[in-house]
Amino acid sequence: MFFHIVLERNMQLHPRHFGRDLRDKLVAKLMKDVEGTCSGRHGFVVAITGVEHVGKGLIRDGTGFVTFPVKYQCVVFRPFKGEILEAVVTMVNKMGFFAEAGPVQIFVSNHLIPDDMEFQSGDMPNYTTSDGSVKIQKDSEVRLKIIGTRVDATEIFCIGTIKDDFLGVISDPGATS
Amino acid sequence: MHHNIYLRSSDFLFRFTSIYFCPEFLKAKCLMNCEVALILERKYEQLQQMSDDPVNQVSQVFEKSLQYVQRFSRYKNPDAVRQVREILSRYELAEFELCVLGNLCPETVEEGIAMVPSIKSRGRVHDDEAIEKMLTDLSLIKKFE
Repeated sequence: MFFHIVLERNMQLHPRHFGRDLRDKLVAKLMKDVEGTCSGRHGFVVAITGVEHVGKGLIRDGTGFVTFPVKYQCVVFRPFKGEILEAVVTMVNKMGFFAEAGPVQIFVSNHLIPDDMEFQSGDMPNYTTSDGSVKIQKDSEVRLKIIGTRVDATEIFCIGTIKDDFLGVISDPGATS
Repeated sequence: MHHNIYLRSSDFLFRFTSIYFCPEFLKAKCLMNCEVALILERKYEQLQQMSDDPVNQVSQVFEKSLQYVQRFSRYKNPDAVRQVREILSRYELAEFELCVLGNLCPETVEEGIAMVPSIKSRGRVHDDEAIEKMLTDLSLIKKFE
């Protein structure tokens, strides 16, 4: 799920940037430092949408650098346990398949794929029902439920399932061709 | 008032997750994919005006998120996006529930409850009829978009 959230960060700025466009310099540096990062706590920072407040700077002893507390609004992506979302399949193998929902990777193990779907190897490895009506392969769109997240300081990885009501393939890339 | 609803009904969903212990998220607003698409597209346009090569200006996280929300947005038109939030807001949903429903657009009451079990939990006002009306309202926006 995407969230719009207010975060705070202490930004260090070199004295050469002090001048009338100090605030612009701070914001530019904030975007460069923060956008695209991932923390276990807040998830992936997708984009900064606004700066709410820049606090009073504090000169660091000895270096001349100044630290400003900056409050900013941003869009983050943070998956969590129990969430149901749609994702694109990126890789299929006999262990299960990987899917991507925005910046996050989700693994669905073959134990969490319905029992009537069998793995088929070949150029385009896939999971198919015995009557061939449903197929999961690369680029399929699936609806899955996140049942576990592994969160460390700089990465989030998810485990998902499609073995439940109303989960599974929503579109099959091969169906239209 | 609004935050109270959010805290109470999301308790069930957040109980096992670290978000629950993260004070920043209690005040956060959830966004539907279609809303994120509008925000990111506008930001991308701004970057395009400032430089000739916006692709190199954005992070991989931005690029992947933009592709994702464009692919999985049920509503494209900004007016429709606004209407979805407005109509769902009438049903006393938690922020979180509103966004899951807006993202997945379940077609039946049974599917809706499977996607967001908490709308049917104890102490909530939703009976099947109210849920059905809500889902019909949602599908009508799509039809007239």
